Amino acid sequence: MRTTADMRGFVREACAMLARQRDLAGFDVYASSSEHRVARINYTSDIPARGVEEFKSLDADGFAIRIAMAHDPHATGNAAIAGDMTIGAVREALERARRAVIVDPHFPGLPRGPKRLRTIPASAEKSRLMGAKDEILAAAAWRIVGGALAAFRARMKLAMPRPGLVIGGDLSLIRDRIAIGGSNFDDVRNDESARFASSVTALVEALNAKGSATAMGVTLEELNRAGARLGREALIRALALRHGERPRHGTFRVVMGPQPIAEILNYMVVPSLTASAFQAANSAYQGRFGELVMDERISLADDPGAPAGSIHRTITCEGLPAERTELVRHGRLCGLLANTYDAHRLLADERRAEKLGAGAPAEPAFPPHSAYRMGESSARRFDGHPGAAATNLLMTAGAGVSDAELIRAVGDGIYVGRVWYTYPINGQRAGDFTCTISGDSYVIRGGRLAAPLAPNHFRINANISEIFSNPIGIARRPRPAMVWGSPEAYIVPPVAIDKLALSAIASAESD
Amino acid sequence: MSMTNSRRSRGSDGVFGAVEFLRAAGEPMLRRFVRTHRGAAYAELRFEASFTRTASAVDGEARDAFESGNAALGVRVRCAAGGGAVGEGFTGVEVGRIALSRTKLAASIDAALAGAFERARCNAREMAALARSVPAAAMKSIALFGEVAPSCERAEIPAIHRRDPRTLNPSELGRACREASAEIAALGREIAYNAVAALSELRHEVFLNTAGANISQAFAFSQGDCYVVAAADGGYQESYDTIGQQRGFECLANDWRDELAPNPGLHRFAVELGRETREVAAAPALKPPDGEVVVVTDPHFNALIAHEIIGHPCEADRALKMEAAYAGRSWFLGSLERNEIGRPVGSPLLWACSDPTLNGYGHYLYDHEGTPGRRVTHIEGGVFRGFLNSRATAAILGAEPNGSARASEAWHAPLIRMSNTFFLPGENDPQKIIAEVDRGYYVCGHLVPSIAESRENFRISARRVYEIEHGRIGRLFRSGSVIADSKRFFSAIDAVGNDLRLVAIPNCGKGQPMQVKRMSNGGPTLRSRARLGGG
Repeated sequence: MRTTADMRGFVREACAMLARQRDLAGFDVYASSSEHRVARINYTSDIPARGVEEFKSLDADGFAIRIAMAHDPHATGNAAIAGDMTIGAVREALERARRAVIVDPHFPGLPRGPKRLRTIPASAEKSRLMGAKDEILAAAAWRIVGGALAAFRARMKLAMPRPGLVIGGDLSLIRDRIAIGGSNFDDVRNDESARFASSVTALVEALNAKGSATAMGVTLEELNRAGARLGREALIRALALRHGERPRHGTFRVVMGPQPIAEILNYMVVPSLTASAFQAANSAYQGRFGELVMDERISLADDPGAPAGSIHRTITCEGLPAERTELVRHGRLCGLLANTYDAHRLLADERRAEKLGAGAPAEPAFPPHSAYRMGESSARRFDGHPGAAATNLLMTAGAGVSDAELIRAVGDGIYVGRVWYTYPINGQRAGDFTCTISGDSYVIRGGRLAAPLAPNHFRINANISEIFSNPIGIARRPRPAMVWGSPEAYIVPPVAIDKLALSAIASAESD
Repeated sequence: MSMTNSRRSRGSDGVFGAVEFLRAAGEPMLRRFVRTHRGAAYAELRFEASFTRTASAVDGEARDAFESGNAALGVRVRCAAGGGAVGEGFTGVEVGRIALSRTKLAASIDAALAGAFERARCNAREMAALARSVPAAAMKSIALFGEVAPSCERAEIPAIHRRDPRTLNPSELGRACREASAEIAALGREIAYNAVAALSELRHEVFLNTAGANISQAFAFSQGDCYVVAAADGGYQESYDTIGQQRGFECLANDWRDELAPNPGLHRFAVELGRETREVAAAPALKPPDGEVVVVTDPHFNALIAHEIIGHPCEADRALKMEAAYAGRSWFLGSLERNEIGRPVGSPLLWACSDPTLNGYGHYLYDHEGTPGRRVTHIEGGVFRGFLNSRATAAILGAEPNGSARASEAWHAPLIRMSNTFFLPGENDPQKIIAEVDRGYYVCGHLVPSIAESRENFRISARRVYEIEHGRIGRLFRSGSVIADSKRFFSAIDAVGNDLRLVAIPNCGKGQPMQVKRMSNGGPTLRSRARLGGG
C-alpha cells in the first residue's frame, strides 16, 4: 500500500496543477490505496479439499478527480485513473473529465465544509493491524480449521465413517488509506482504516448439524483471539444443534436474534433511509419522514466513530467530517444518510413535500455525513461515486429486557438465530421481504430454548412493519452482527415478535 | 462487423498494448520465476486491459458520464513445503497506467509473483504444522487433494463489434439515455422516478502459465439498463431490466436481431418498461389463492429460475461444499455417494444446459484456467447429468474439465460461474400452452429471487401476473411471486414452449470478496404448478 505521506504529496501536487486551469470553477482530488487479504477456509472431511485456499491479496491504488466548469455552474465531469499517481496521470484524468462533462441542472457544486480539518492520528493497535503480514493471517486461518477439528474429535468419541464435516468461511483483512484535496479546502485531509472480519460455518451433515461463529475487530490481538476460538465455537454450536426439530408451518411467536435483525436492517431498512431513496420514491418510509415508523422503544443511528464498531472513519469520501447520523429516534424517522448531491437533490425536488410527507419539518436538513466510495471488498475505492452508506449501524432499545426475559416473554415459539437471502420481494417501497432460517435457531417451549430447530426448514414471508412496529419486547444489550457482502457493521439487540408466518421447505434429499 | 484484437500501434492503444507484450514476454517471466524460487512448482498470469464508457440519465436529465481505461493482473503460484504439503497463493493488482511502461509492468508482475509465492509458502507451512498436530485421518481429505494438470492451450480470439467502444462519441451515449429517460418521465405523473444507463466496453485478456498455455481473448460488451418507479391510486411498482450483447454500441442504437437473444434498441426498451411499470402500478396487488395453482411462466421469468435453481446449484464448488459458509450448497449433491447424478429431478419434458459457445451475454471460448468452454448438459429429459467445473473440482468429481472457472476481473481468483445457462425449448406454441389452462396464472418478467440454502426451494417475484380463465388471459396483478420446492416444481412441468429466449444478467454476485459477473439465462415458456405469493 502507498504511504499516507506519498498520497498527501500527490494530492497536493494534483490540486496545484488543477488550480492553474482557467476553464475550471472548482475541482476535487480523491486518492485511495486499499488492500484486501483473504484466506478462505474450506475443509471437508469426506471430499478432497485444500483446508485453506484462495489465500490472496487484492490491491488497488488510484485517484479520481471531479471538476466544475467555469462556463456553466451546472457543468461537471469526473474521471478516475488506476495505478499511477503522477502529474502525467492527472493530465490524462483532466482530459477524460473534460470529455465526460455533462450539464446536470441539479448539480449543486462541489462539497463544502470546514476549510481545514484536524487529522486524528491512528492508534498504535490499529497501526499493528495495518502492518500485519501474511503469516499472521495464514496461522489464524489454519488455527480456525485446527480448532474445529480438535473440538470435533473431543466431542465425537465414536468414529463416524462419513460425518460430512464441513468447516467453511474466511478470514479477511481490509485496509485502506485515502487523501482528499480540492478547491473548497485549504488542506489535504486523510484517513486510514484497518479491520478484520471472519465468518465460520461448521456443518456435520450426518447429524444435520449446522452452527456458525463470527468476529470483527480492529486490533491484531482481536484477530489472534478470533483465530483461536472461531472454529471451535462454530463446531460446538453445530453439535449442540444436531437433529433439529421440524415443526409444522404456521404463525409463531418469534425472537429474532442479532444476525436476522442485522440482515433485515441491511437489506430492507437501511436502503430506505437514504436521501436518494426518498428522491427516487422507493423508500419503505416514503411520505412518512418525521412520523412514527417503528415502535417507540427503537432508535437507530449510524456512527462512524462508535467505539464498539469495527468501522472507524474520520472523514467521508467527499472530504467532510464523518459524523453520527440519527435515523430513527424513539420510533420516529428523523434523519437520512446522504451525500452532497442527494441531499441537495431531495431538498430541491419540486415534489419534496409529497416525497417526505406532512410530518417533515418545513426546513428539513440532510447533512452529507455519509458519502463513501465503496468497492466490492468494502474498502474505499478511487473509482466509485461517493454514495450514501452507513458505517456502524446501532440499534438501541428503551425499556429493554434481558435475553432470558425476552425468550420467557415469547413462551412457546421459535428463536431465529440466522437467516439467509433476505430480499425486498415486492420492491423496496413495499417493505415485504422473504428469507429462510438457515441455522443457529431453536424451538422455544415454556419460555426456554427447548430444542434445536432444523436448519433450512422454514421460510419467512413478512413485512418490515411486522418486525419493528409492535414487538413484544426488545433486548437491552445490542451486540455485533455481520451481514455477508455488506460494507456496514451492525450492533443490534434481539427483538421478540408476536406473530410471524413461517412456511415449511421440503427436504432436498433424494428419496 | 470488425474483430478487434487491439493490435494498434504502440502509443495509440494505451494499456491494450501490454497484452501483446505479455504474450511474447510473459511465459519466460513465469518460467524464470519458478526456476529461481525453490519449492515453486507452477505459476500462471492473467492480465486484462479494458476500456469502459458509460452514461446515465435520471428523470430526463443527464446524471453522469464516465470514461475509464484500466489494466489489472492476477497471478497464482503453487509451491511445495515439507511433508508433502502443497500451498497456493494468489495476488491480484489493479495496475492501471503502470501497464503503459513495460519495465514497470514487468516489475509489478515480479512483485505479485513474489507475494503469491510467500503466501503459498505460509499456507503450505501452516498446513504441514496442522498435519503434525492432528491424527492422519483428519488430514486425509487434504492429502487426497491431488495434483491438478494445468492447461497448455494456445489461442487468439478477437472481440466482435461494428463500433469500437474506444471511439464511440460520448455524447451519443449520453443523448440516448437522456432522450429515453425524458420520454419515460413524460408518460404521466404516475412515473415517480426513472433512470436509464448505457455502457460500452472493450476487454482484452491474456492467460499464460508455466505449462505453455498462451490464450488471448477480447470481448466487446454493450449494455442498457432501465429502472422505473411508478405510483398510482395507492398502488406502486418498481421495475428494472437489462439488455446486453457481446457487441459494440450498434446493438443498443437500434433493435438487434439475434436468434436466441434479440433486443429492442435502448430507447424502445426503456420506454416500453416505463409504460409497463405505469400500467402495473395501477393494477391491484395479487391476493394469492390457497394452495397450488397452474402457473405458466414466460421466458424472462424462467431466466431467473434457470439462474437460481439450475445454474448456481450446478456450480461444482458450491456442490462440493466450498461455498457452504456463503451462498450455500446444492440440492443436486448431498455427498459424493448420495446425490442426484443420473436420477430424475424433474419432468421428462425438462432439459437444461450451459453453453458458453453460443452468442449471449455469457459467451466465451476459454475460461480463466485456459480450459476450452463447452456445452454442459445439466438436465436431460428430467434426469440430472452434471456440474459446471474447474480443473480442481473436475478432478474431485472424476469428470473432464468443462471450462467454467472464471473471474469477474483479472485481479480476482477464478470461481465456477455460469455462462449461457438455460432451459432448452420444447415443441409447444406458448399461446396453446395458455389456451389449455382452464384456471391458472400467467407469470411474466422476473424481479427478485429468494432461495433456500441448497436452492431446494424458492420464492421469485414477477413484474406482472395475469389471471388465466378458460384459456384466456384476464386481469393483471402486481406484487405476485411464485413459491415452490424446486424438485416438485420441475416434476410438475407438463408443457414446454418453443420460444426459447436468452436474457442478459448483468450482476451475478459470488465469492469473497464479491465478484459481479455478466452472463445470460433463459428458457422457453413453461407450465407447472406452484403456490403464489402476493403483496
